[in-house]
Amino acid sequence: MTDSITEVAEPIGLSDTEEVSSNTQIDAAVDVLNRLSAAVKQQVLGRDDVIELTLIALVADGHVLLEDFPGSGKTTLAKALGEAIVDDGSDKNRADFILPFRRIQFTPDLLPSDVTGVPVFDSNSNAFHFRHGPLFAHVVLADEINRTSPKVQSAMLEAMGEKQVTVDNVTYQLDALFFVIATQNPLDLVGTYPLPTPQLDRFLFKITMDHIDRKSELDVLDTYKQRRDLTADKITVTRDEVLFAREQIDAAVTISGSIKSALVDISRNLREDERVLQGNSTRSMVLMLPALQVAAALRGRDYVSAVDIELLLPRVLGHRIELAPGVADLNKVLIDAMRGPMEQLARGTLA
Amino acid sequence: MTLNRTSNKAAKTQHFLPTSLRAAIIASSYWVLSLSPTVVSGSVASFIGCLFACYLIDLGIHRSPLKRLRTFTINLMSLSFLLMGLLLASLVTSTVLLSNLTSPMFSFDTGEFIKWFAISASLTVCLRVLAQRTSYGAVIEILFVAIAFVITLSAHRNGMIHRPFLIGDYALIRGIDPSSILMAFGCGAVLSLAALLMIENNHRRLPYHFTVLGLLCFSLLFYVRLFGLPTPQLTDDLGLTGQEQAGNRAERENPFRDSENNADDKEAPVAVVVFRDDYEPLNGSYYFRESAYSQFNGTLLDFTTRSDMDQDLIKNFTNSRIETNQPPKAEDQRTPVRASIGMLISHRTPFGLESPIAYENTANPNNLRFKRTYDTYSQAPEYDFNYLLGGELGRADWSQEVWDEYLELPDDPRYKELAESLIVDLKPEFTDDPFAKAWAIKTYLDESGIYSLKNEHAYETDPAGSFLFGDLTGYCMHFSFAATYMFRSLGIPARVGIGYAVPASNKAGGSSLLIQAVHGHAWPEIYFRDIGWVIVDPAPQQTLVDMTTDPQNNLQQLLGDMLRNDASFDDFLQSQQTSAINLQLILNILYALILATLLSAYTVKCYRSWIPSRAAVDKQYRLSYRAVLDQLAAIGLHRQYGESREQFARRVEAVAPSMRKLTNQHLALALGSQDKNSFDAAKWTELRSAIAQEIGRNTQTWKRVVAWINPFSWLLSK
Repeated sequence: MTDSITEVAEPIGLSDTEEVSSNTQIDAAVDVLNRLSAAVKQQVLGRDDVIELTLIALVADGHVLLEDFPGSGKTTLAKALGEAIVDDGSDKNRADFILPFRRIQFTPDLLPSDVTGVPVFDSNSNAFHFRHGPLFAHVVLADEINRTSPKVQSAMLEAMGEKQVTVDNVTYQLDALFFVIATQNPLDLVGTYPLPTPQLDRFLFKITMDHIDRKSELDVLDTYKQRRDLTADKITVTRDEVLFAREQIDAAVTISGSIKSALVDISRNLREDERVLQGNSTRSMVLMLPALQVAAALRGRDYVSAVDIELLLPRVLGHRIELAPGVADLNKVLIDAMRGPMEQLARGTLA
Repeated sequence: MTLNRTSNKAAKTQHFLPTSLRAAIIASSYWVLSLSPTVVSGSVASFIGCLFACYLIDLGIHRSPLKRLRTFTINLMSLSFLLMGLLLASLVTSTVLLSNLTSPMFSFDTGEFIKWFAISASLTVCLRVLAQRTSYGAVIEILFVAIAFVITLSAHRNGMIHRPFLIGDYALIRGIDPSSILMAFGCGAVLSLAALLMIENNHRRLPYHFTVLGLLCFSLLFYVRLFGLPTPQLTDDLGLTGQEQAGNRAERENPFRDSENNADDKEAPVAVVVFRDDYEPLNGSYYFRESAYSQFNGTLLDFTTRSDMDQDLIKNFTNSRIETNQPPKAEDQRTPVRASIGMLISHRTPFGLESPIAYENTANPNNLRFKRTYDTYSQAPEYDFNYLLGGELGRADWSQEVWDEYLELPDDPRYKELAESLIVDLKPEFTDDPFAKAWAIKTYLDESGIYSLKNEHAYETDPAGSFLFGDLTGYCMHFSFAATYMFRSLGIPARVGIGYAVPASNKAGGSSLLIQAVHGHAWPEIYFRDIGWVIVDPAPQQTLVDMTTDPQNNLQQLLGDMLRNDASFDDFLQSQQTSAINLQLILNILYALILATLLSAYTVKCYRSWIPSRAAVDKQYRLSYRAVLDQLAAIGLHRQYGESREQFARRVEAVAPSMRKLTNQHLALALGSQDKNSFDAAKWTELRSAIAQEIGRNTQTWKRVVAWINPFSWLLSK
C-alpha cells in the first residue's frame, strides 16, 4: 500500500488567475471550466481544491480516485459534476443510452455484466440485444471500488483505460467524455480487495480528502435546504463545450522541452531512490502532460511552468510509487527527487 | 532485508571519509609515539597497523562477524593478538634461523615490525571498538591522540628547540621559531579532532566530546595565559648567580642557597660558543669566567666594591669593543683565542673563555633565538702545573689594602689549622711553594669531599666552614669557598671565580660548544705574579649526583651554525630557501590574484546590470530578469536550491512586489509561450526600474551600501 499524499504545494484556487491572457482560445476554455466549477461549487462547499483537481482530471481525460470517509461529499461532488454537464441535443451522433451521471455501488457479489451491461434476449425480435450498463455515462461514480471482486475491478479498469467495454466479443465504445470518480475508504479494510499498483496506475489522481474546515461545515448545514431546492438557476455546461475546452487547451498550452526533461529526470530520480521499491511508470508521465496543460490554463497561462508540476506531481505519483518498508514519508521522497530537476528547470530559464 | 541493505550502504558511504581522516590522525600519533622507542620499520608498522585496525573496525563493526561479538570479546581477542604478536616478534629475533638466512639486521627489523604492528593494531582495535560501542570510548581516543602529540612536542621544552628534529631543523634553518610551528600543529590536531567530532554519527554524545576537547584546549590556554609559552629557563644552582633573574633578588644574595631552585631543567641551553681559534684546555674543561667573589663582607665572599680589585674582570656589556684593565701575563705560555658567544638567556655580565681580555659586540644573526651575541678575545693558558711551581704570589701594583682584602677570611682558626695540617706532608723542597700548598689543599678536597647538590649548610652563618669541618658534602660553591679560605689562611691571595665550566669532550670535535645550565660553576683562583689568576679547581672523586648530560651535538651544531652566520651558512640558507618556495613571491602572486579576481568580479557585475539596456528585445526576458536577480541577490535575497521561480517571486514580494509580474513574463517567454510579442523593451526597462525603486524603498541603507560594494553579489543569483 502506498502512503496517502497530503498537500505538498499550496492549493491554488481559481481566483489565483491574476494574469490576463490575451489568448482567446484559452479564454474560451477557461470560461467553460469556470462555469463548470461554479456549478459544482453550488453543491459542494469547502472543497475547492478537490473540485479543481477533479476538473483538471476531467478535461485532461483522466480519472480520479477519492479516498475519504463516508458522508464527506464524494457522491455529491460526482453527482453535481455529472448533472452540470448536460446534453443540449446539438450533437447528432449522441447515443440515447448515454446518461449524464451514473453511480455504481461496488459490492463483493457484483458481476462484471452488472457494470458493463448484458445482452438480453428479446422475444419480440427474437434476438439478443445489448442492454447498456451504468458505464455508459459522462460521469460515473464508482463507490467503494475496493469492495468488489478483482474480476469486476478489471472490467472497470479496462473501461477506464480503453474507453470501451467488451461483452461476448462485441466491443462497445464509451462516451468521449467518460469520466470515473472512484472512491475508497482508507480505514475500513475488512473484506476488501485493495487495488494493486498497476490498476491504480489507471487513475490520474488519487485525492485524499480531509474534513472540511469549520466555517465550510457550518455553511453546508446552513445552505442545505437551498442547495436541495436549487433547480431553476443551475449553471450547466454542455458536453460539447467540455470536449471543446479539452481540444483548445491541448492546442494552446505549450509544454516546453525543459518541463518534459524535468518530468523525466524526476521519474528517474525516483526509480533510483533507495527508499522507493517501484518507481512511477512512463504512462503516468504521459497522462500527466494534459493535466499540466489544464492546470496552466486554469491560471491563465499558455505555458506549463514549475508550479504546475509542484501542484500536480504529488497527486499523480502518490499512488503510483511503492515505498520500501519502513519509509513513511512519501512527501520527503518526492521533494528530494524533485529538487535537482526543478533546480535545473529554474536555471534553464536564464540560459 | 531491503532496508538492511540500504542502511548498510548508507553507513558505508557515510563512513569512508571520516574513517580515513580519523585513521590518519590516530596513525600519525602512533607514528610520533613510536619514533623514539623503535626503528623506522617499527614506526612504519605501527602506522600501518593503526590504519588496518581503523578500517577493520569502522567498516566492519556493523557487519556480521564483528556485529555479533560483544565488546569485551573483541577486546580480549585483540589483546591475545597483541600477545601472539609479541611472542612471534621475540621468536623472530631470538632464533637464528632468519638472521642466518638473511642478515641479523633484517631479522631485527622484521621483529620490530611484527611487534609494533601487533601493538598498534590491537590497541587501535580496543580504542575504536570502545569509541564505537560506548559513550566514553571516544574520549579515551581523543586523550590518547592528545597525549601522543603532547609527549612529542614536549621534547621541545627546556630550550631543546631542535626537537623534534624534523620540525626543529626545518624551522631553525629558516629562522622561524619552531614553537610557532608546533603551536600550528596543535591547532591543526585540535581542529581535525573537532571536525571528526562534528561528523560523528551519534549526536547524543557530541556535547560530552566537545566538553572534553574544550577542557583540553582551555587548560592549555590557561597555562599559556598564566605561565607563558614554555621557554628555556635557567637553573640557578652551581654558581649561576650572574644571570639576570626575574625573581626576588634578596634571595639570591647568598650563593649557597642557589641549590634551592629546582633543577629539573638542568639541560636547558644557556649559550653557545663558536671557537674561531683552535684550543684544547689542558685540564679537560673549558672555563668561562663571568665574575668573581673576592671581597669578604664579614660573613662570606662577595663581588668586590673596590675599584682597585679584580681589575681583570669586565663587568658590563658595551656596544663596541671593551678591553680588560689588567690583561694576564705570561703571554708566551698563553694562546690567543677568539670565540663568538651567543647568549640564549640574558646575563648581567658578559663571560668569556679564561682569561678574557676583550669583548666585542657583534650583530645578532637571529634575534628570535639569541639574546645577545659578542666576540670574546682570550689569552687561554697553555702552561702545565710544573710551570706554576715556584711562582710568586700577588701583583706588584697591589696596595697593602688590596693584599689584605685578598687574604681576608672568616674569623675561624680552624681554616688555618686544617690548611697547615695539610701541608706538613709536603716534600721539603716544596714546603714554601705556594702552588704546592694550594695543590695539597685541592688534593685533600678531591679525596675527602663528596659532591652533592643536597646539603645542610645553606643556612649556616659560614656555609663553607660548616661544609669543611662538617660532613664535607656540598657542591662547587662549598668546595671553592672552602679552598679559597684555606688558601687565604696560608697567605695565598685567592678568590672564587664564577661562570661556566664545560667538559672539553662536549665539543665533540666541532668548533661550537653548547653551554647548558648544568655547566654553571664556581672555582677557586690564585694570583701568581707573572701569570695572573690561575684556576685551581677541586674535583671531588665521590659524587652523589649524576652531573653528566646527554651530549646535544645536533643542537650544538645547529646553534653554532646559526651563530657563526658566515658566508657559508648564508649560502646554506640560500640553498635551503631556493629549494623551498619563496614566500614573498607567493604573497605577491596572491595579491595580484586577489586584485585580478576583484577587478573581474566588478567587471562582470557592471556588465550584467548594464547589458539589458543595450540588448535586443528577444533577449530582454533573460538579461533583464538576470539583472533584477543580481540586485536582489546583492541585498541577500536569492533563490534556494530547488525553489521554483514563482515561489521565489512570492517570497520576495514584500521587498519587490513587481517581481511576480516580471517572473511571470520571464517564464512565459522562457517556457515557450506562444504569445511572443506582448512585451517590448520599454516595458522591460519600466519593470526593471520599478523593481529597483521598490528595493530602494524597502531595504535598509547599509544593506544597499553593502550590495553596491560587494563584488561577488552576482555569484549568488541563479
